[in-house]
Amino acid sequence: MIGAGIDAGSRALKVALFDSERGQVLAAAVRDQGTDHDGPARELFEELLRTEGLPRRRVARIVATGYGRRAVSCADTTVTEITCHAVGVRHCVPDAATIVEIGGQDSKLLRLNRDGTVRDFAMNDRCAAGTGRFLEVVASRLGAALDSLGDLARAAEAPAPISSMCVVFAETEIIGLLASGARREDIVAGVQASIASRVAAMLGRDVTSPVIFTGGVALVPGMAEALASALATPVRVCPEPQMTGALGAALIACRQASASA
Amino acid sequence: MNPPPERISMEELDLLCERRRSAGDPMPAYVGPLRRHVEEGDRRLLRLEYDASPAALRLWSFLLTEEERLHQARAAGAKIVGTMKDLGTVPVMAYALSNVVAFYPDGAWWTPCVMELSDGLFRIAQSLGFGEAFCPVRAMLGAFVNRAHFPIPDLLVCSVGAVCDDFSAIAQRVESLGHPILWWEMPHRRRPEPDEPAVELPGGFSAPASQVALVRAELERVRSALEALAGSPLGDAELAAGVAQANCVRRLLAELRRLAYTAEVCPMPALEMLIAEMLAIHFCSDRAESIRVLADLLEEVRRRVKEKVGIVAKDAARVFWVNPVADLRVMNLLEDCGGRLAGTEFLFSHALDLIPEDLPPMEALARMALADPMAGPSADRAARIERDARAFGAEAVLVSRIPGASHCALEGAVIGRTVRRTLAVPVVEIEVPPVADPIMPTLRSQLEALVETVMERRKR
Repeated sequence: MIGAGIDAGSRALKVALFDSERGQVLAAAVRDQGTDHDGPARELFEELLRTEGLPRRRVARIVATGYGRRAVSCADTTVTEITCHAVGVRHCVPDAATIVEIGGQDSKLLRLNRDGTVRDFAMNDRCAAGTGRFLEVVASRLGAALDSLGDLARAAEAPAPISSMCVVFAETEIIGLLASGARREDIVAGVQASIASRVAAMLGRDVTSPVIFTGGVALVPGMAEALASALATPVRVCPEPQMTGALGAALIACRQASASA
Repeated sequence: MNPPPERISMEELDLLCERRRSAGDPMPAYVGPLRRHVEEGDRRLLRLEYDASPAALRLWSFLLTEEERLHQARAAGAKIVGTMKDLGTVPVMAYALSNVVAFYPDGAWWTPCVMELSDGLFRIAQSLGFGEAFCPVRAMLGAFVNRAHFPIPDLLVCSVGAVCDDFSAIAQRVESLGHPILWWEMPHRRRPEPDEPAVELPGGFSAPASQVALVRAELERVRSALEALAGSPLGDAELAAGVAQANCVRRLLAELRRLAYTAEVCPMPALEMLIAEMLAIHFCSDRAESIRVLADLLEEVRRRVKEKVGIVAKDAARVFWVNPVADLRVMNLLEDCGGRLAGTEFLFSHALDLIPEDLPPMEALARMALADPMAGPSADRAARIERDARAFGAEAVLVSRIPGASHCALEGAVIGRTVRRTLAVPVVEIEVPPVADPIMPTLRSQLEALVETVMERRKR
């Protein structure tokens, strides 16, 4: 049985196809997200089917998740990204106890029960601090490519102090730091530490290991280390971190199809 | 015959009103279609969903005509008291006098929501130094300046001390604009030392007798000011009668809450429950009518509970809600996402407890005032929430932060720790601005995820 998961995130669109009989991901794809969620989601899903040579009828159920989930008209149902990330990460890392998910527009912290279900969660969704958006602003201000930030951070000698929790104010601080001769590498490392400390503050003292880091920002080199330092506990990056929401949605699609069969 | 329970649009509620009027059903004069308020600028009403009952129509009409009532009271020669910050104490005293009407200028915090920011109150507050770093109650400042909402009170009374910092600052700014305020002090409630004389308070708290004596002395000053305003004495007999009437409101609300939050099928939407509970603190400028409005609502809820009908599915997730929301639409969202209310703590649980009637009234009022959840340690408030959530069978606790409100900054963490430790149910914090439309998708995600978490827990 094949289940499809469509994660209509704020910055990227992700689709995963999961075969529950073989217990493996058949295919997955990711594309930048625009303002319309429905058309691009359907196109990416159909493109994936074509690439895999799968007829649409082989897909037993489609679950949409993510910020734009309600706009995905080809989905049979919707499930929140909180639940989907929990399912997706636990599939990849069966002993995950705490999940940190940092996406383009928000960040989430999930505490899991022993059986992998969500115990509770926290979400930062009103402020760009602690999200991938912060890194985009910094990359733009420094004239650097987003995927080069990790290399820059690795070359840091002393992370620059970013005192503001607000991205707009932090950008002003970055301008000031640049004007005073701070190295770009140190600024990037300082920003990573700032994002990590913001996320750590959300998590509070209730951190159960292992902590798994997922979401698009987990792909940025140096972020996991910054997070581990802020949490004072080891942090593991989930395999294919950008896809865990879509994977979780596909797994839930399989479960639901199986339950109704 | 009453319509089946469901949530309906404003247009449908207005149709219900017109049908009742055509049928000659007796309705108080203030009951009417809500569109008249939209025409006056209350645009948010178009975006809300309402309980489909004559009782809800009466509740909404009562709420939305409060300013008219205040202006009419002034025209009729009544004295108007603006009671600020204290929740549920001074109005009990004021309504014990026959020619005095009390109201909460603080209630203006909902005006920017109801008028979808077209009121300009926040702009005025900003111009006076109170921007969005402050609680939305700063809208009150704008209402004092533009005088387009409530009449300027003949007497302003405000508690100060262990109360919200934002409110104190805003009220001081009101005073600086030429509106004298009678301040009365609320001490930070503490637990008595082992060798210290202690007093039991409503709600299960206790406090040193010296703190109760202080509050009582402060309320005596308020009593004197009310007597001077009314030109008549406010004796203990009048106060005791006032306490009895306030308790009448509280008893109705206690039964309404018990039924609405414990019924197998939720009989009344979250939005109407929020509005109804608010009557405990301010009587919506008419204590006698607030009793009739609540009695109507209770009768409707009783009928629904008896018939086992309600406004959401039987298996809706049972959510205990902490703090009122600045945007009323978010209360609708709970049911949209598959949840229902199973208890609330809207910052005035002390105003829902009965005021002791076996004590001298000023002593009873002082004890009740000191039981204010905002006047004591956050741990006390968390303990009460835990106790009430358990009693109502809540499966999750939702803490709704008020942006800028100083008391909201850390309380959520304290409440979360207590509830997780003792009840082991999920606790989630959201933040609701006065007009939440731009973040409605993310609020929906959080509420839906909370409901999903509850449903998963049921399977375990």
